[in-house]
Amino acid sequence: MIRTLTYYLLLMAILLTSCRTLNIAGYYHRHRQSLDSMETTFRTAYQEKPFSIQFTSRSFNRVSLELITDTLTYIYEYQVGEPRLQDTLKKFGYDTTAINYLIRVMQTRECTWIDNLDYYTDTARHSVVYISLWPRKFNFAFVNKKYYILTYFQRPQYFDSEGRLLVGHRLRHIRKINGDVYHRINDRVCYTISDRFR
Amino acid sequence: MPRNSLLLVLSLLIIRPSLARTTGDPPDSNRAQALELLDHTGLPDSSAFWPNVRLPLFIANLKVNLNFPQKIYQGVNTNFCGYAALSYLPLNFDPLAYTRFMLALYKDGEASWNGIHFRPSPEVHQAAGTLRFKGILDIRPADQIWFLVLADHFRSYLNFFNRRFHPGSEDTFWAAVSYGKFNRMIRELFGYNVESRGSDLIRPHFDDLYDYLKTNLARPGTTYLYVNNTYLHKKNHNKFKGSFPTHFIVLDDIRRIPGEEDRVDIIYWDYGGRTLRQVSLRFLKKILFGVTHCTHP
Repeated sequence: MIRTLTYYLLLMAILLTSCRTLNIAGYYHRHRQSLDSMETTFRTAYQEKPFSIQFTSRSFNRVSLELITDTLTYIYEYQVGEPRLQDTLKKFGYDTTAINYLIRVMQTRECTWIDNLDYYTDTARHSVVYISLWPRKFNFAFVNKKYYILTYFQRPQYFDSEGRLLVGHRLRHIRKINGDVYHRINDRVCYTISDRFR
Repeated sequence: MPRNSLLLVLSLLIIRPSLARTTGDPPDSNRAQALELLDHTGLPDSSAFWPNVRLPLFIANLKVNLNFPQKIYQGVNTNFCGYAALSYLPLNFDPLAYTRFMLALYKDGEASWNGIHFRPSPEVHQAAGTLRFKGILDIRPADQIWFLVLADHFRSYLNFFNRRFHPGSEDTFWAAVSYGKFNRMIRELFGYNVESRGSDLIRPHFDDLYDYLKTNLARPGTTYLYVNNTYLHKKNHNKFKGSFPTHFIVLDDIRRIPGEEDRVDIIYWDYGGRTLRQVSLRFLKKILFGVTHCTHP
């Protein structure tokens, strides 16, 4: 009887924890300083030479770099701290200080991907910094993964009464980025919860 | 049916090579001819057939495609990758025919290519120019017309339940391209000789994959790979991934990495650009469901 009850409790605990969601707005406010500094560092380094960083393993020790040149995008994967990584960055002329900083903060904040995405308002091109978080405590082997995505806009955005991101002040349609609807954290920062990190 | 016959029938269904005519012929037309046609063709400021297509954007889009054929982009989260991949052929080897076709589509709302007549449905006429949140495809109405018209015309078993376009269909099976359909489109539309190995469900066997791909690349023509994109362009970390192909890429080169027996550099085109990536041959075998080699007619 006690054993059955234990199994039930264990099962309930697994089900309950697998359904838990992170309060992403609260998470953002708690770690605002490091998240904002990631965005600033990334945006500045990206403007110099475009790239993206992805952590490919759950243990956040394998990192994949997409180095974007005019003719070719190079995709390389490394162990964090591997000397080859530094050699590659130097060879392609990237800001090693900025990228090493980003890798370090991404590891700490359990961020699986950072990139720059373009979006269009009428014919004008804008960009948004896209940060995918994959907190470890919400990971279960047989449950589909959930990613908490933060987007940083360059200028204040418009939202509806429910806090959903809109196309613009006049065009009051809901804007989707990468297929997802976004919600307000502040005028420039939005979030969504997605089943894909990019 | 005896087991050997059954195996023979199955292998004929799965692996359907056709004889390739390998020639070193020059392209049918060049960029200058296509740009000249574009510059000297009078077009109405607005088209009754394409009410949501703006002429300046349409022309700018065609010019970008002609000047930078590798930049053609399927759009974020659409299923247009098969159509974007096959566009590689006319944009690189017959830009004049492509331009003539697009201009006729704009002016008349319908057009023919290689004896195939395209008469898009009213839903497609309305939709072109309205696709949004697809990245740069948002401001490329000519690409929207091109992808929608191809998807509307060429159908296969994957499109069985999504026969008619409705808003959002570009992200669904309506726009999906099976391996057979992909090869058929290249053969029928551009008249290319197509040699293919693979299928939608079963991975083809190669005694020496590196050698097979290298040999294909050494011959004149274009080599496409039909791959499982959930591994190549990973979007989540789920343990269980669908084991079926979803993406077409153009293989540019494959090179062994010195000192690493199983690892290679592959250079390929997709998503509007070329990528160099280091992968193991084991990984490549795992994601590869088809190899198509097209040669110029």
